[in-house]
Amino acid sequence: MRWGMVIDLKRCIGCYGCQLSCKAEHGTPPGVFFARVLKHEEGTYPTVSMIFLPVLCFHCEEPPCEEVCPTGATAKSEADGVVAVDADICVGCRACMMACPYGARYFNDENRHYFPNNGATPYEQMRVQRHQEGVVMKCDFCRERTAQGKEPACVANCPTVARYFGDLDDPRSQVSHLIKERGGYTLHPELGTGPSVYYLPP
Amino acid sequence: MDSTRGRYEQLLQDLRAQYRPQREWIERQGLLLIIGHFLSGVAAGTWVFALAFQFVGGALAAYVLALLSGLAHLLFLGRPSRFWRMWHARTAWIARGFIGLNLFIVGGFFALLPHVVAGAPWGANSWLSWAGNVVAMAGAVMMLLYKGFVYSSSIGIPFWNSPILPALYVAYGLRGGVAMLLVVIALFQPTFHPANLELIELWIGASALVMILFYLGVISGANPVARQSVHELLNGRVSISFYVGTLVVGLLAPIAMGILGMMSPLSMGGLAILGLTSVIGDFFVKYSIAKAGIYLPLTQAPRLRTV
Repeated sequence: MRWGMVIDLKRCIGCYGCQLSCKAEHGTPPGVFFARVLKHEEGTYPTVSMIFLPVLCFHCEEPPCEEVCPTGATAKSEADGVVAVDADICVGCRACMMACPYGARYFNDENRHYFPNNGATPYEQMRVQRHQEGVVMKCDFCRERTAQGKEPACVANCPTVARYFGDLDDPRSQVSHLIKERGGYTLHPELGTGPSVYYLPP
Repeated sequence: MDSTRGRYEQLLQDLRAQYRPQREWIERQGLLLIIGHFLSGVAAGTWVFALAFQFVGGALAAYVLALLSGLAHLLFLGRPSRFWRMWHARTAWIARGFIGLNLFIVGGFFALLPHVVAGAPWGANSWLSWAGNVVAMAGAVMMLLYKGFVYSSSIGIPFWNSPILPALYVAYGLRGGVAMLLVVIALFQPTFHPANLELIELWIGASALVMILFYLGVISGANPVARQSVHELLNGRVSISFYVGTLVVGLLAPIAMGILGMMSPLSMGGLAILGLTSVIGDFFVKYSIAKAGIYLPLTQAPRLRTV
């Protein structure tokens, strides 16, 4: 089994719903976005178009971040293909951040919060317990949710149903079907990392 | 509070930028990693040449530098107390470097102790000292090699992702070693003067100049992101440290002094300055290369650009 995601760029309206729901789910500190939306202008006047590109950890088949990790904290699960960081083992060398070509990793140097003048909110105090300082953090395809049979937060909360989640190893799954039928592609395939997040053309 | 806010704003600004500079390995705590890389390279180079010239003072300096390098690496880590976990050397060059440093520190201890402590439990010609030398040399070779490979295996940063970089870092490590020997000789043992040391320094310095120009030439043709990094180096936010630190102080000045030294022998002060400028250049080449690193932008992915 290999969890994967398909993002339909035709349906994405750049509403940042995925980014916000991820933040709410994981309570990530300011400046950390496990899921985020990039905006990019293409072309020149008068034929300009705006591309919304939602990105997250691509949970690669050959993750370069795993290769460079000196402690084995970053590991790809044999069971579901999810690449995750074990915060209890990570030494905080940040080599994985340099190796990741998709900018999906963040270093939690200190537990910042959103209202520095007022201190941490009760929600942030709860969240701090989940995030260790001095280690690298990243998307884990909402493992706690998928273990309960739910979809990742960014998928469940996408208002335009632009995101699909499923088993890439199953040829009958919706994600496999969409990739085949709509010509799904990955970002920077030339790097040979084999991302598990596919895009459908706009 | 302001620094937290500033860091947050910086993070957001970087995420919005087309070309996002890497900051984790150069700014704030990250500078300690560059210092650690610099010190470990110089330590390994100094050890190699100190052994070649049978110069105990140089070997001792190399050992101290290696200890300082280990300390800088430790202070850089987000979780220094977990350093002992860095043994996954099957694929990770950082772990190989860590093992190399440990071998060097342990081997160097056994090799050096009889030279510096009168009445040490084993002699300078004992098998233990000899074995220490072998282990320390293996560690020094790993220390010379690992840094370049750490950078070149970072595929997220195209400017570093080049097979020339490990060769460049080895050359700079060896050059830093010769330079450090010159400084140690000038400061602590002016009577000791091995033959051809300035010539070796001049030769490695000239090779490093050729190598760095070759590297920049090749990498700027690799892809637009690497070209942007070269632009940052030559004409952007890294240009001052590159031109002043790496080129003028680190390469041109020592090469000029080396040529002068071939015409008439340099004084001890001249040798010290020659060594010191080379060592400063060694630091700045690592600093500049690290600072010029830019992440591969996602919006330049080949398929996206055609839509």
